[in-house]
This record gives sequence, C-alpha cells and structure tokens, in this order.
Amino acid sequence: MGNFLRLALRQMDVQLRMRVLSLWSLGLFFTQPAIFSAVGMLLAHAAGNANPDLIYTVIGGGIMGMWSGLVFTSTFDIRADRREGTLELIVGSPTPLRRVVGFRSLLNILAGSTSMLAAVTAAVLIFDYSFAGINVPAVILSFALLLFGLWCMGIFLANLLAWSRLSGTFVDLLEMPIALLCGFMYPISVLPSWMQYISVVFPIRWSLQAMREAMRGTAANAELLSLWGISLGISLVFYLFSHWLDVKVHDHIRVTGELHSI
Amino acid sequence: MPDQKAISTNQMQKTFKTRQGFWRRTTRVTEAVRDVTFEVNKGELFGLLGPNGAGKTTSVKMLSTLLLPTSGTITILGLDILRDTTEVRKRIGFTFGGARGLYGRLTAVENLRYFAELYAMEPALTRKRIPELLELVNLLDRGNDKVETYSSGMQQRLHLARALLHDPELIFLDEPTVGIDPVGARELRATIKELKARGKTILLTTHYMAEADELCDRIAIINKGRIIAMDTPAGMKSGMTSESVINLRTSNENLTALKAILSPIDGKATILCKENTVQSEVSIRTAHPSRVIEVISPWLNTDLIQTMEMRSQTLEDVYVAIIQNEEANG
Amino acid sequence: MIRKLGQFFRLYFFQAWFSYRSLFAWSTPFSYMTSKFGFPFFSMLYFVFIGKFVGFDNPEFIVIGNILLMPSINGLYGISMTIGDERQFGAMSYLLASPAARAPLFLGRAFFHIIDGFITVLVALPIAILFFGLGFSGINLLLLALCLILLSITTTGLGFIMGTISLVSRDGWMFTNTLGQLLFILIGVNIPVDKLPAFLQPISNYLPMTRGILAARQVLDGARWLDVSGLLGGEILVGLVYILIGYTLFRLIERASMTTGSLDSI
Repeated sequence: MGNFLRLALRQMDVQLRMRVLSLWSLGLFFTQPAIFSAVGMLLAHAAGNANPDLIYTVIGGGIMGMWSGLVFTSTFDIRADRREGTLELIVGSPTPLRRVVGFRSLLNILAGSTSMLAAVTAAVLIFDYSFAGINVPAVILSFALLLFGLWCMGIFLANLLAWSRLSGTFVDLLEMPIALLCGFMYPISVLPSWMQYISVVFPIRWSLQAMREAMRGTAANAELLSLWGISLGISLVFYLFSHWLDVKVHDHIRVTGELHSI
Repeated sequence: MPDQKAISTNQMQKTFKTRQGFWRRTTRVTEAVRDVTFEVNKGELFGLLGPNGAGKTTSVKMLSTLLLPTSGTITILGLDILRDTTEVRKRIGFTFGGARGLYGRLTAVENLRYFAELYAMEPALTRKRIPELLELVNLLDRGNDKVETYSSGMQQRLHLARALLHDPELIFLDEPTVGIDPVGARELRATIKELKARGKTILLTTHYMAEADELCDRIAIINKGRIIAMDTPAGMKSGMTSESVINLRTSNENLTALKAILSPIDGKATILCKENTVQSEVSIRTAHPSRVIEVISPWLNTDLIQTMEMRSQTLEDVYVAIIQNEEANG
Repeated sequence: MIRKLGQFFRLYFFQAWFSYRSLFAWSTPFSYMTSKFGFPFFSMLYFVFIGKFVGFDNPEFIVIGNILLMPSINGLYGISMTIGDERQFGAMSYLLASPAARAPLFLGRAFFHIIDGFITVLVALPIAILFFGLGFSGINLLLLALCLILLSITTTGLGFIMGTISLVSRDGWMFTNTLGQLLFILIGVNIPVDKLPAFLQPISNYLPMTRGILAARQVLDGARWLDVSGLLGGEILVGLVYILIGYTLFRLIERASMTTGSLDSI
C-alpha cells in the first residue's frame, strides 16, 4: 500500500512538473475555453440575447478546459515519453504502464479542475451568476462522477496512443467532436437527433447533465439517480475496456517496436 | 545446481513489417535478427559487435523484454521472458545509447527517484543508493542540476546509474560510450570493469573494437541479423595470429602504379585500397610481412610511398576482415 | 544579374518545397486530411451549435467565416511551425551560417503554404455554398478567387511574425495558438466585426484577413469589383505591413543571435 501511494505521488509530481505546468496546458485549461465562451457570449450579444444561460456558455467552458487538457496531456505524455525515449524505460520496468498512465491521468484531471474553478469564478464575478436553488451535495457527486468518467476516457485514449503513433492523429481529432456531441456549451437538445444518439456512449454526457440539473436544483432525485447510474456504468465499461486494451497494447508494441519509434 | 546461464537464446528471430507509401501502402518485411543462438554465463562480460543496422539493438531489446521475438526462445537468469516478464524486469537493468531516456527538466536525483519508484524500491534504500550511484558515475556534485544542462557524457553516465538503481544481476549496455570524450569513455570503462568485479553479468554492444578488446570476456560479431563469429577477443585474434598489417599512403595519381608494384604478393596478402580526396590508403594484411617489405622497400624513398606503418593485428582488423569476408560471400 | 536572379529563385523554390515537405509533412493521406480539415470542421460545427443555443440564427455566417479562415492553418500555424521548428531540430545555425540570401530563405517558406491554403479554401467553399443552397449564379467567381488567394497570402504575415517569435522562445507555439484562437473572435469569422464591443473593433481593423473576409462575404452576396476594391486594397496594405514586420523581426533576431547565440539553445 505504501509502495502504491508513493508511486502515485511520484508519478503525479513528475507529471505536474514535466507536463502540466507549461504554458501549453495553461492555454488548454484557460485560453481556449475562454475564447469559446467569449464567442458564445458575443454571439448572444450579436443576436440581441442579453441573458444567455451561463451554465452552458461560461461554466461549460470549464468542462471544455478539463476535457481538452485531458486529451492533450494524457496523450501528449505518451507521445513525449516515446520521443524522449522514456516510454521504453517505463515499459521495461516491473511497474505496469497501466498504473503509470492511471496516476498521470488522475493528475491531469485534477489540474483540469482549475479550469472549472476559473469558469465558475468568471460566471460569478464577471457575469453575476447567483447559483440560486443549487443542490450542493448533488453537484459534488455529479462532479465526482464527471471526473471519474473523464479519467476512464483518459486512460482509454492513452492506451490507444501507446498502441501506435498513428493513432495520435485520430486522438487529436477527438477533442472537438466530443465537446460537440456531449454538449459542453449547450444542451444536448440543440443537436440534431442523430447526433444526440451518438453521444449516449460517453459517460461525461450523463454526469454533465446531472451536474447542470443539480446546479439549478430542478431535477427530481430519481432523475439524478438514473443519470448517475448511467454515467457510472458507462465509465466502468470504458475502464474495463482500457484494462483489456492495456494487455493487448503491451504485447502489440513489443511486436511492432512502436515503443521507440518517434 | 543453480542455472549458471545469465542469458540463453535459442534461434531467436525478429521480423519487422513496415508499411510505406502515401497512396499505395506497401508492406516491407525486414528480418532484423535471424536465428541467433548464444549463451552468456553468470558473471561474464559479453560483447555484441556489428555494423550499424546489424541487429544489435534489436537483440538487446528482445533480451531486455522490450520486444517480443518473432520466434525462438529467450531465457534470462533461468526465467522465460514471455512467461515471467515482470520477474525478469526486476532483475535486469538496461541503457540505450544517446541522450534520450531522461527527463530533462528534472534533476539527476529526481530522475533516479522517479525510476526507483517504478522499480518499487523502499524509500530508505533509494536514499542510500542514489548518492552511492552518483558517486560511482562521478556525478555527485551535479546531482541537483537539471539533466538538460548535462553534457552527453554526463547523460550517458546518468543512464548507467539509472540502470543500476535496483541492483540488477544482469545489465545490458547498448553503446554506452557513444558520443563521450576519450577521458569520459575511459572512466566509463573503468566503471564497467568495477561492475564486473562485483559479479554483475554484462552484455555490451559497441562500435569500438579497442573497447571490446579491453573489456569483454567473449564477443560475438553480428551482421545482417546473424552471428557470424563468436570467441574470446584473444581467440579471435589468434585465428589470424600470424598476420600483420602494413599500411601505406600514396597520392591518388600514384595509386595505380603502387598497385602494380604490389602484384607479386597477390595471393599472399589481402590488399585493400581506399581512395580519399587527397591521399589513398593501401592496407595489406599478410602472414608474410617480410615478403611484402622486400617488395616495397626499393620504393620507400620515392613519391610512390609517402608513409608506411606496420603493426600486428588488432581486434579491429579481425572485425573488418570478418565483416568483409561475409559481404564478399553474400 | 540573370544568374543571380536564377539563384535567388532556385533558392526560393527549394526552400519552399523543402520546408513544406519536411516540416509540415504528413505521413498518410488520413493524417493530412485530419490535420487540415478535422479541427476546423468540428470547431465550426461547435460554433454553429453554440450560436444556435444563444439565439444567433445565422449558421451560414459562421460556416462561411470558418471556411474563409482555413488558409490561416497554413499561413499562421504552418509557416510559424516551419520557421520555429528549425530551432527545435537544431538546423537554424546551418541556415544562418550559409551564405544564402535571406529574403528567399525566409519568404520561400511561404510559397507552398499559400498554394495549399488557397486550394483548401477553394475546395471547402463550394461545398458550403452548395450545402446552404446559395448557388453560384450571382457570384463573380473570378473576384471570389482573388479574395481567396489574397487571404492565403495576407495570413502568412502572422505566420512570419509568430515563427520568428518561436525561434527565440520555447513557448512560441503557445503564442501562435492563442493568436490563432483570437482570430475566431476578432476578424469577423464567427461574429460580425460591427457587432463586436466597441473596444475590439479597432483591433480587428488592424489585423490581416478582416477586410479580405468581409470582401469575400460581400462577393458571395453578389458584390462587384468596385464594391470591394477599397476592402481589397486595404487588405493588401495590411497584409504587406505584417509580412514586412515579420521579415524585419527575423533579421533583427538573426543579428542578435550572432552576439548571444540564442538561436541554438533550446
């Protein structure tokens, strides 16, 4: 247990200093979401809408920051380790790559939460958002499930990245579609219905919906419970799939020699 | 009776498939290592020599569990690398040449701590080992500097310290002295000798024949994925022991004339000519040096021969001869 | 003189092709297509839905705007990467130590990016026009093509400037990215410039592409030569100023690097 915790802390410490504390991730956590929020607010202004729903337009930016930060740090890690030649040292150690990736993704998500914090702060201080009727415990639980869903998706993507360097293109491409399909900055109902069907497979769509309902305090407990259940269930599916993929990846990269190639 | 073999491979093979092309993807199959069988005893320092792309690094990566062999078996310290991967990893250490494989924005101590954690080392042990290792590789005073400020020699030495962290029984060193200045390389060789004296088994790959000659108990020469010679350094040299090497330099214009002069010793010597921009070098390997001297001595004070040098055969000569012989016979 | 000119152009095209291939390269058609169309396409859709939610019911405006922005992927990101990456690959000192003339060396990097950017927007725009059922009948196609090639050229000024910054700063890429994202707001891509808050409008007017995008939009609405000539003239002027600033900055940094050796350190 001590070993496990020490490994966790060391991984997260190195991750924080090597990858997260850079202008690059600050851009992902803060600049990009701020730009998208600004586009939303300015479009509202251009359309003569004086009161856009801040839960989407501003706080949604925080979700976007968490997601973009996760996609890029989790995947950039593997790529950077591949490039720096440390990936094969990690794989060649007795510690499973899965564990290393898991701790790193955890840190990425915790760091990404600062994006959420910034968005909420901006909503309150700049736009006078009041949080009237907020169901605090439900928001916290929803947020925890959101984090868990993001983490499961993060380790899944990192495994894909370890599989092959070509998948990098694919993973880069995922950032926007998932922001788009999961409705980070608008309700899912804005999407054409066929798109709404695609997003059901992403756990974060459900926890996000629960969190928003809880922020407004409008949802019945039964509804929240079902949203939480769905989110947790799909997250676990992602987790189990990553676990399975991890074993495959470990064999695959040792067959192809992808481990050391740039 | 415990297994005395540190490494044992049987018909180890590795085939890579690479895909190329923009529109039409073609698959190219590269046989990086074919049919390699050898054993390394515990406590032995074994050298793997060969030209670039011969399959040295691929072999080392298979032996250190980073690549799966396409076929054949590999046993490391009596453990099967496929079945007991984690156990093997706990007991081996490895470095790959070059500046890669370290976190530049962290200090040496931080890098070592990070890897110590990956090897599940107890903190007390880590605290004791890190200064010891930094001292062994002569980096103690720079331990708290960021690795990106290190010279390539220092990084190479830090690689060695990293590989030794968990006190492995078997160490793979892939071109450990590449890119290091002569003083640094000598220090590193001294460190490697010390490790051997402590009873470690070491597998070393290198391009430097003098290094292999100095360090290795046994060497194998690998070319195009196959082992083409395996012996002790002395044994390799004794295979052609009666031979000497005579090197001549001449101007490019006079090369043809010089070749003509050398024609009487055809068949008694192997003559290699290398034309450079200004001068040409003629290298004569022969078992009858006195006959060669006899032939060339009348010309020693002419323009035909600018310099002459004679020495006994080195491991490098043997290596070059073996590789060239291999090339010539396909 | 002729020989010298020949040398100049050979160097220009060699630089252009070499840098385009080696630094902004792709390994498969898939990764080329995704890097070019992936992010722009999905972020465009995202903006459309964000707009729809807040009541901006003119998806056409957003779609056309984002397509007209596409040359900036080559002009801004591509060029700044080809210049900035020299530093990372350590090749800059070889270039600077060479006796080659500087202008083709530097400006040469832009050529294929301009062509590539132009072709990209040339492919994407008709698709959008057809998608929204606009039809080509009222559009002066030659004038539209002129607007597009102009946009592909003027956007390179930003790339030169950001690339030069990337030469001296390890985080240059971040500034490029931030600037690229500000373009979503400032140059009339998603939001009409005249609907921006008053303090932002002057900034828009001093940026390349703003006038070009506006002109292209007007041409799509049926405008003729005379209607947009002022906008196009302004676009050319602003574009040239940015390219000139980029080149001057490069020369200044080149000179500074000889004394400080800053180009090689990473």
